[in-house]
Amino acid sequence: MYFQKKRCIAMLLAGGQGSRLKVLTENTAKPAVPFGGKYRIIDFPLSNCVNSDIDTVGILTQYQPLELNEYIGNGQPWGLNKSHCCAQILPPYARSKKSEWYKGTANAIYQNIPFIERFDPEYVLILSGDHIYKMDYAAMIAFHEKTGADCTIAVRDVPLSEASRFGIMNTYEDGTIYEFEEKPKHPKSTSASMGIYVFKWSILRQFLIADEEDPNSSNDFGKNVIPALLASGHKLMAFAFDGYWKDVGTIDSLWEANMELLGKEPAFDIRGDINSRIYARNNALPPSYIDVGAVTANSFIAEGSEIYGTVRHSIISTGCFVGKEAIVEDSVVMPGVTIESGAIVRHAILGENSRICRGAVVGGKFSPDEKKEISVTQKGAVIEANAVLKPGEMV
Amino acid sequence: MTVTGIIFANIYDSSLGELTNKRTMGSLPYGGRYRQIDFALSNMATSGIRQLGIISRYNYQSLMNHVGSGEEWNLELQEGGLEFLTPYAMSVNANYRGKMEALYYALGHLLHGAQDGYVVLADSGVLYNIDLTKVVSAHIASGKDITVVTKAGVANGKKQLDMAILPDGQGGFRDVAVDYAADPSYLASMGLFVISRSLLIHYVQECVAHNRFRFERDFVLQEYNAGNLSINVYQFEGMVLYNESPAEYFRNNLLLIDKDVRHDLFNGCHSIYTKVRDQVPTYYGEGCRIDDCIVADGCMLEGTATNSILFREVRLAPGATVDSCVIMNRANIGEGCELRNVILDKDVTIRPGTKLIGSSSYPVIIKRGETV
Repeated sequence: MYFQKKRCIAMLLAGGQGSRLKVLTENTAKPAVPFGGKYRIIDFPLSNCVNSDIDTVGILTQYQPLELNEYIGNGQPWGLNKSHCCAQILPPYARSKKSEWYKGTANAIYQNIPFIERFDPEYVLILSGDHIYKMDYAAMIAFHEKTGADCTIAVRDVPLSEASRFGIMNTYEDGTIYEFEEKPKHPKSTSASMGIYVFKWSILRQFLIADEEDPNSSNDFGKNVIPALLASGHKLMAFAFDGYWKDVGTIDSLWEANMELLGKEPAFDIRGDINSRIYARNNALPPSYIDVGAVTANSFIAEGSEIYGTVRHSIISTGCFVGKEAIVEDSVVMPGVTIESGAIVRHAILGENSRICRGAVVGGKFSPDEKKEISVTQKGAVIEANAVLKPGEMV
Repeated sequence: MTVTGIIFANIYDSSLGELTNKRTMGSLPYGGRYRQIDFALSNMATSGIRQLGIISRYNYQSLMNHVGSGEEWNLELQEGGLEFLTPYAMSVNANYRGKMEALYYALGHLLHGAQDGYVVLADSGVLYNIDLTKVVSAHIASGKDITVVTKAGVANGKKQLDMAILPDGQGGFRDVAVDYAADPSYLASMGLFVISRSLLIHYVQECVAHNRFRFERDFVLQEYNAGNLSINVYQFEGMVLYNESPAEYFRNNLLLIDKDVRHDLFNGCHSIYTKVRDQVPTYYGEGCRIDDCIVADGCMLEGTATNSILFREVRLAPGATVDSCVIMNRANIGEGCELRNVILDKDVTIRPGTKLIGSSSYPVIIKRGETV
């Protein structure tokens, strides 16, 4: 088979378990978690690739890959199914000498060196499937090329009070990184790594092989590969990004990111022209139906939903049903959920295809300064008629 | 056994006036996110038909843009696949006078490949969700030459039917008529026929050689009357909508607000597929008031809409009121507007404060791209 040489290909780390999303990732890989009414988390990095003219994406899966693999399929929704481009699922596989799971982010790429070599790329873009954002990777790659760096790391400014939760890059004025500190107690700067890297492939390849030979390494980009590059005097540059970027690794942040889509001038405007559109796999669903007397205020409602009750400040995903006199407020309702008549849902995330039966109450109301506790139902969960799921409870 | 599909994209365009001035009957938007041809395409694709020709004579750019390679209907990867039978592709001028002449020019498509099997022919102005495998099986079991798929309850003594059939209750017919405002005892043809490929090729050649160009009148009726053609009538029980006049088109859009109509048409036998546009979900603003509406994706709704169909990317400003309207893609309705019984074609802008009132039998129609 013939593979065309590529200037840059992307490797998307989608194997994370996302255990902090608790019941939502019990049977699903985190990148496959639904978001924003009709998307899944992985649609964001994938669409960013397409919008940045990156047409070859290796997707590294490991944890609960079934749903994710089905979702990606042949890559058609993202236009990655043509003869010159691809979205290739790369699970760990057995070899003649040694077979193993992906031990860490760097090891996952190491195990797929043969895949990358097929395209003989100048650069490799490393992405994760954990964040909601729109970014033009082409600008970052152009910056990388212009500065002649061996590795470029996307960074964003975070509040000083939160900086100790991130990998912090200490840089000179021109953006050259002289120090990297993983979750520092006393951060010297507020430039946090976004986990997006562009490498010269020749350099990365060399460091991946060396890292693999080091028995003490935990085979992680942040912990091992980046510090090794710095220590050996390679040129690392920080690429500043100031757009919306949200780690949706926890229940609270997932809920918040969904809410940030709402409003007349939302914190994150998911709409976009042809160059910044987010693509998703679409099911053939009819338009939604809004009944007489239904209330739909400050909400997203996706295709195939039928609304007979009240929806306020919520995301209603594809193919949902909200019955008469049901109330949904401040909630994220994932695809295929049924909320029967008279049920009340507040400050909740309802997993795919869950069912809230008649008169059941999920979550609660909060005053503005009270700490919100999000109630969560797992995929396919059923809350029986008149049952109660308290604030912060999960099933 | 191979079954080939033929869809006529614009045989009756003129009946819809300005709505089909610059597009085919098949590419006329319908139901919020569809084009009319989606129904015929989905019916055929979900019945395992893998060789499909779309006959169109003019204004077919929007149709080709919509249907593309057919991948949304899973038609593109299979052997045979989808073929556009435009006048150019058939190297003839566009002035064929009826379906028989159109088929004559498309004979290359029908003569391609094995000559056994059957052909399903469908119009694109009649909408229904049908399992064609059942229709083809019934046709084969009947042993008759042609199957006419019909619907009871359409004939009303006023509506002009392409073909109307009055069964005699004993397997025969008391009357078969064309272009006829038949009384309610008749069954109305749905413009959907099944015939063996060899017989169709034979009659297309025979008819056109004798200046007989219309399918129902010059072929089916004439050969039936001459005793050469046996007819099987298949009575379809599901929902059938005839969009053959602006008033019918308007009414049949609003009919989707009825749950039974909607569920029958969209989920009856299979899903209806259409071109994916990757729009965001619709945003419902804080003060919007939406009652009894069908809403597609990508809209930004801040005003009031009642009993209406809102297509993709419609913007409804605060204080705008829309009642019993069909609003196509990307309409921008300004503050304080009042619209009742109106059809807005695509890309229409209604300036703030504008009032447009039509009647349910004569809706006001604003042409594509206009600013009012």
